[in-house]
Amino acid sequence: MARKDLLDIASLHREEIEFLLDQSTSFKKLFTHSVKKIPALEGKSVLMLFYEASTRTHSSFEVAAKRLSAEVTNFDVAHSSITKGESVRETIETLQAMRTDYIVVRHSHPGLPGMIARQTTASVINAGDGAHEHPTQALLDAFTIKEKFPDPRGKKVLIIGDILHSRVARSTSTLLQKLGVEVAYLGPGSLVPKYVPASIPRFTDYEAAMAWAPDVVYLLRVQMERQDVQFFPSVREYHRVYGITTARLAEIRDKGLYIMHPGPVNRGVELCDAVMDYERSLITNQVENGISIRMAVLDWLTPGGEFPRQESYVAQQQVSSKVIMP
Amino acid sequence: MLLLQNARIASENSPVLLEGDVLIVEGKIQEIGSSLALPEGARAIDARGRVLMPAMFDAHVHFRAPGFENKETITTGSEAAINGGITGVVMMPNTRPALDSATAVATVLENAKDRARIPVYTSGCVTKNREGKELAEIEGMRELGVKMLTDDGDTTADPAVLLRAMQYATEFGMFFASHCEVPELAGPRALNEGVMSYRLGIKGSPACAEEIIIDRDIRLARAAGAHVHIQHVSSKLGMETIRWWKSRGDVKVTAEVAPHHLLFTDEHIGDYDTNYKMNPPLRTQADCDALLEGLKEGVFDIIATDHAPHTPFEKAQDFISAPNGITGLDTALVSLYHFFVEPGKLGWDLVVKRYSAEPRRLMGLPVPTIEVGQEVNCVLFDTEAETTFTREFMKSKSQNTPFIDQTLKGRVDLVILGTEILLER
Ligand SMILES: [Zn+2]
Repeated sequence: MARKDLLDIASLHREEIEFLLDQSTSFKKLFTHSVKKIPALEGKSVLMLFYEASTRTHSSFEVAAKRLSAEVTNFDVAHSSITKGESVRETIETLQAMRTDYIVVRHSHPGLPGMIARQTTASVINAGDGAHEHPTQALLDAFTIKEKFPDPRGKKVLIIGDILHSRVARSTSTLLQKLGVEVAYLGPGSLVPKYVPASIPRFTDYEAAMAWAPDVVYLLRVQMERQDVQFFPSVREYHRVYGITTARLAEIRDKGLYIMHPGPVNRGVELCDAVMDYERSLITNQVENGISIRMAVLDWLTPGGEFPRQESYVAQQQVSSKVIMP
Repeated sequence: MLLLQNARIASENSPVLLEGDVLIVEGKIQEIGSSLALPEGARAIDARGRVLMPAMFDAHVHFRAPGFENKETITTGSEAAINGGITGVVMMPNTRPALDSATAVATVLENAKDRARIPVYTSGCVTKNREGKELAEIEGMRELGVKMLTDDGDTTADPAVLLRAMQYATEFGMFFASHCEVPELAGPRALNEGVMSYRLGIKGSPACAEEIIIDRDIRLARAAGAHVHIQHVSSKLGMETIRWWKSRGDVKVTAEVAPHHLLFTDEHIGDYDTNYKMNPPLRTQADCDALLEGLKEGVFDIIATDHAPHTPFEKAQDFISAPNGITGLDTALVSLYHFFVEPGKLGWDLVVKRYSAEPRRLMGLPVPTIEVGQEVNCVLFDTEAETTFTREFMKSKSQNTPFIDQTLKGRVDLVILGTEILLER
């Protein structure tokens, strides 16, 4: 059942997801012990290949690997001159020569972790590839939701914000749907593609979305770094239209809804300051659960394969890359 | 002397194939008839069951020389053409340096004479270095036989520049080929905007980025009294825009469609397969269907491959980093046969018309036919045999095609140009 790589959520089977969530529960129990380390990955090496900066995910993986007694190395790729596809291939050859067991990779280009996975014996974990997938984020989100709703079937999660650029939205919605959770999107018209799957209803205003009666409101981070293209007129306007304002927080509190956010939060944009103290905010739970989920993933994967091509979600959709009759 | 016996002869004017023997003497068709006697010293080829047709002509190829000879050369490109049953091509001028002057054009044409076994023509740039700012030396290129002007690879962004170029060059009897794309809308130019772009997390390129320029450039041509040729149309609305303009009849517009846009959709990209990364991008089945309809109706005058070789190294990058384009010369005719002619969606007459006759008319060249007195320029095609597109089979220097290692029905058996047998299998 174990796999070499974790590249996406779409190709994960339900049993695999349940297994990882169960394992995460066990690992999380460890956190209360005085010795938090176990020797599961002793002698193994984990290489962190972050082409995009990310303190949160990076350190979460690092802590997870160390708690499993693995050796962690950071490959210095933060410099833009070597972030292009061509040099990635050269890097892969170097990595293969280093015989590392795990590679945790983040890159702005979708599909790039899969490309690495096909060319190394190491287990590759996608820590975010462009707007494509962020599987461990999805798993930790699902885990966090399951802590509140042990049987999440039929629960509703409203994801608000920049769907267009969000790998979190894609991975998390895919995973939640696999667990029987209903997902809906709300966001600016310029940031919610009209081609989202029909299984995900799309709301155009906050009131209509609330009338859908979500159990969880999941706020996406507004990518402030995308200032070269203007997707909405101003941050103030965004907060007013799509943010959790003080007034909206009161309504959310009345209804007892949970709030989630993948972090880091832009205060005053996605949400007002008061949300940070809201008793049903799960934002810090998400961070904590990130470690146990990543431990479960590292422990589950099996490095050393013969460059297998992972079954992709596309294969699941029965689309073949072979020539087929038009 | 060569006697092709019992061939089924195709022509653009006849939906049925006529069976007969064809006697070729000194590069000319001397006689056509049934059961012709084999003259002394003549070689007989049993062509029973095989289709004899005028050879194809591809008016949109990238031979990458000068500047990118690691991708393709005039020699390898023209051999790929012959391999696919094509005996004439028009190169695109997006080389390095770009073909924007008489000097640059003269150099490639001279090279082509030495290095290719088929006539190789070239188009010239509309603007210097394809920058869209200053007009290229248009008349100098015309003197060397350039008829088509294009900044292919990009749209000539400034409509005022293009309009002036059209007004100027039309006086010399030249025409314009338009690569249609608003760059600000096209984004990273990798993938159609749609279900697949959402799934793969790539900012898609909407069809309207193409359709706007199709309409713009036809309007400009109308204003200038110029002839505009719309390149590699990929969308249904693009086709319908051209259809509408053609129906008005007050502007000279021709258009082309590439086999890959008839055959593949964005779904084929699957798990980021860069062999399906091209520009304009593959769109949807509804677009494919509309394009085939447009081809049958004559909205598209010609089929052209947009043969775009890239090295395996370049294409082996991730989807965003890999360059756009696929090769097409080795595979075009066989794939058209396999997917359209064999299943009865296209007749041989239409293939001959759109891929042999009309492209040559567009370029002002004589149109070969299988008729007595004509110079031989033909292909013998086996409809029962198969072709497997292995690396060894392909003559292009690059093999970035979805057909790699695929087996399709149909095989180019013989290519004859004048007195020379260019290919015999
Ligand atoms: Zn083009």
